[in-house]
Amino acid sequence: MGLEQFKNRNVGTQNYTKLDVGVKPATSMDQFKQVVKRTFKGELFVGLWVTLREMVNALFLDKMHTVKYPFEKMPISPRYRAIHDMLRLLESGHYRCIGCGLCEKICISNCISMDTRYDENQRKEVTEYTINFGRCIFCGYCAEVCPELAIVHGQRYETASEQRASFSLFEDMLTPIDKLNLQQEYDGFGAVSPNADANIKKTPLAY
Amino acid sequence: MSIHNSINKGKEITVTIDGKTCKSTFGKTILDIARENDIYIPTMCYLTKVKPIASCRMCIVDVEGVEGMILSCQEKATDGAVINTKNDELNAERKNIMKLYNVNHPLECGVCDKSGECDLQNKTMEFGLEEQGFTARDQHRPVENWGHISYDPALCIMCEKCVRVSTEITGDEALKIKFGGYGSTIVNSKQDKNYASLGEAAAVCPVGALVDTNFKYTANAWELEKIPSACPHCGGGCQMTYEVKNEKIYRVTNAYEFTTLCGAGRYGFDYANKSVTKDAQAFALAVTAFENADTILFSSQISNEEALILQNFKEKKGCKLISHEARSYQKFMQAYSTITGKSLYGGTLKGISESKAIIILGSKINDDAPTVKYHVNMASKWHNARVTYMHPLEDLEMKNIVTQFIKYEVGSEEGVAALLVNTLLEGIELPKEVRSYLDDLDIGNLSAESNIGEEELEFLAKSLLKKSGFSLVVGSDLYAHPKAEQIAKLLALLEEFAGFNVICIPPAGNAMGVSLICDLDDEVEGKTVGYNVPADFTLSALGDSDLDMPAMNQQEGTLTTNDKRVVPMNVAQSYGGYTLNDIANALGFNKEYTIDYSKALPVEKGYTEIAFDDLPDYFDSVGNEYRGYLLKGIKTSVSRTFDEVSEMGAFDGAVIYNCNPAEQYSVFTAACSLLKTEAFLVGSEQFATVTKLKDGEGITFTVDGVDFNRVFKIDTSMKGTIALNPTFDKGLSGSLLSSYRFSRLDFERSGQ
Repeated sequence: MGLEQFKNRNVGTQNYTKLDVGVKPATSMDQFKQVVKRTFKGELFVGLWVTLREMVNALFLDKMHTVKYPFEKMPISPRYRAIHDMLRLLESGHYRCIGCGLCEKICISNCISMDTRYDENQRKEVTEYTINFGRCIFCGYCAEVCPELAIVHGQRYETASEQRASFSLFEDMLTPIDKLNLQQEYDGFGAVSPNADANIKKTPLAY
Repeated sequence: MSIHNSINKGKEITVTIDGKTCKSTFGKTILDIARENDIYIPTMCYLTKVKPIASCRMCIVDVEGVEGMILSCQEKATDGAVINTKNDELNAERKNIMKLYNVNHPLECGVCDKSGECDLQNKTMEFGLEEQGFTARDQHRPVENWGHISYDPALCIMCEKCVRVSTEITGDEALKIKFGGYGSTIVNSKQDKNYASLGEAAAVCPVGALVDTNFKYTANAWELEKIPSACPHCGGGCQMTYEVKNEKIYRVTNAYEFTTLCGAGRYGFDYANKSVTKDAQAFALAVTAFENADTILFSSQISNEEALILQNFKEKKGCKLISHEARSYQKFMQAYSTITGKSLYGGTLKGISESKAIIILGSKINDDAPTVKYHVNMASKWHNARVTYMHPLEDLEMKNIVTQFIKYEVGSEEGVAALLVNTLLEGIELPKEVRSYLDDLDIGNLSAESNIGEEELEFLAKSLLKKSGFSLVVGSDLYAHPKAEQIAKLLALLEEFAGFNVICIPPAGNAMGVSLICDLDDEVEGKTVGYNVPADFTLSALGDSDLDMPAMNQQEGTLTTNDKRVVPMNVAQSYGGYTLNDIANALGFNKEYTIDYSKALPVEKGYTEIAFDDLPDYFDSVGNEYRGYLLKGIKTSVSRTFDEVSEMGAFDGAVIYNCNPAEQYSVFTAACSLLKTEAFLVGSEQFATVTKLKDGEGITFTVDGVDFNRVFKIDTSMKGTIALNPTFDKGLSGSLLSSYRFSRLDFERSGQ
């Protein structure tokens, strides 16, 4: 979408639908008349017709709107900050985390805790990495500060579980090695939703 | 004022630095004066405690009327000089230097241990380097692990601080520079020795090139809580900082710019008595035990405050206080003060490092007191000091420092002291009774008995001719000698009449504090309570006794150091059990905390009435020490009477010498995982011949009632018939070893 379209402030050319709210009854006689009219006009059947139409659409024309949660889930915005994921390097499959400790440092609720060691290959190895999800406020600073895009916010927003520890270990957040090909790159903090262009509409300036 | 060119007597000068008029004395460098006046000059390679290295050239300044840039770290300021530390030209030069440092410097700050406290990081930010104009072909430089420390040449900026510390300060002389332009690296020429003293070289590294292997990649600088304290292992009480995260000590650092920490101080930190809870039953038993005790035994691993609590027990209950090592030291110092008329020896560590000649008597100093050895080494390196090492055993570790080794017979220390005093006091005016005593000495006989040739003494006397600034280091061989008091009196003459800077190294831990605070007794009697000593009822910080006590890094308190300073220690690890103060409170003393006793330390012994929380603990920007306070010397009565020098008992045949390896002092250092050392009886081939022992053979023997079960090892670098017998692994009973450090070896074989 070009900039010139934004600069076109002529709201009138757009496809806004104005609601017909009718005229408010002024006198008590008018009010009485409105009640009688609405009671006997049969608007009920208008509503029932809509229900019937949608039922036919859903059952026979395959236009079902219901999402069968939890078997189906609505797609969520990449900006959504759900339970963290730990990503792997695509080439080697090794986890991306280098153990720099910046996430631990920046975490404002002090919920990240990690331990590292000097491994046999003379590299820094992450031996422990936990996030206390009882404390985490999902602010996203850890993902923002991570220099390796190793810790990101995933899509798992269901945080109800028997115990929160089920999410909090490094291995649980890490992409399973057999699902490496399914690993999604994180668009990052402030990313736009995939259908952002389609969703853009002009804000009416003339209220 | 840097340590190495402290010419206080210099002429008063006035210089102007950046428009500020600075008064100082001649002999100081421009950088020194700037730092004294809080003027900032950036440096990369400057380390206050060594001589100026001048490898970085960051400290350049502009002196008006002088062409070119001046290196402020090594240029002495002259009167009236006008100096500018900042201008565009200097800044451009410094910026270029920083760019050169950054050529091919790996961008691994994310994992580097130094990140957050890195000089290169800080200065790169400070000079706002946005671009790199220099390039060089990078080369493969693999990481080297040198035991206690690891070296990453790719990160090294070749500032040479580590090399200077290794030569000028710790004296291990392990680190060398391998020259080769851009390919220059630091090499460890003594990798097989794995010197723990190299920890100091790692501490001064401004980047992540030299790091402690144990600490490497385990934590980041900013995560660690810094707890200032003092090292309790030997009598040095060196400044140290515990760095703690999640109740675990990750490493020990120090104010490396001004002080030095030995290997034991740096790597001996994990000896805390962990996960102790309050055991009320054991506590009740302990209180009863103290109530009924006739004798309290304790080791010198104790704070001044605890020593005072025990002294209070003694005063209230009339029980006896026994601390073997401290008692012999106490007697030695009491005898010493009858000559000098002062309760303390006159010497200081700084005095040693400024000496032109040093005599070391009765100490395997490299193992007994590394910090004192460091100061001897400084004198040797900075002032070309003559170092005379007098001991029955030659120490190869001291070879690069010692100019004259005088070997004497085991047990003849009294004669040695008499000979030494007689030689050094020749031609010096003495009180009549002292002079006549010295004149009456049978030099020939003493010389024959101690096996010191007269020519050796002549050589010593000659080498001291035309020199001034002498030091004498007295070690713990002498304190438990049967004639210790006589030796003390003789050696005190050197301080009193020849102006020697004398230091009597405390034999263990806080022995100096204990000897000053407690009235110690000689004989154990009746029911005993032991604090870190096995007894009828034992309190111990090792966690295997009747009642747990906090280890030294779990308690607050003060230590008395061999530099005559009272320094504070703080809590690095929490402790959940009872302390000695709890027992004291149960027995009717009423102080909330142990440190409430800091104020009550005996003023008549030189302590100052000052609350623990008011004790300072820092160094100022030029390295003046503000840690705790200095002990005051107290006047004592003088009585210069001597005994006849007696015949010495013969120590022929195989002799063992109670001596721990360097980095080991006590059960507490033995408990530290990084200092793990196996204890062997180490002797020469000659020792093996005399005892008919084979390498690897197991023997049992007894010293002071402590049973030893040792494997014998031959060390081909040793000579003579004296073997080294470590004591650090003997648990609490180690502190029962209290007699003369040499003893005849009567052993039984216990198999291979």
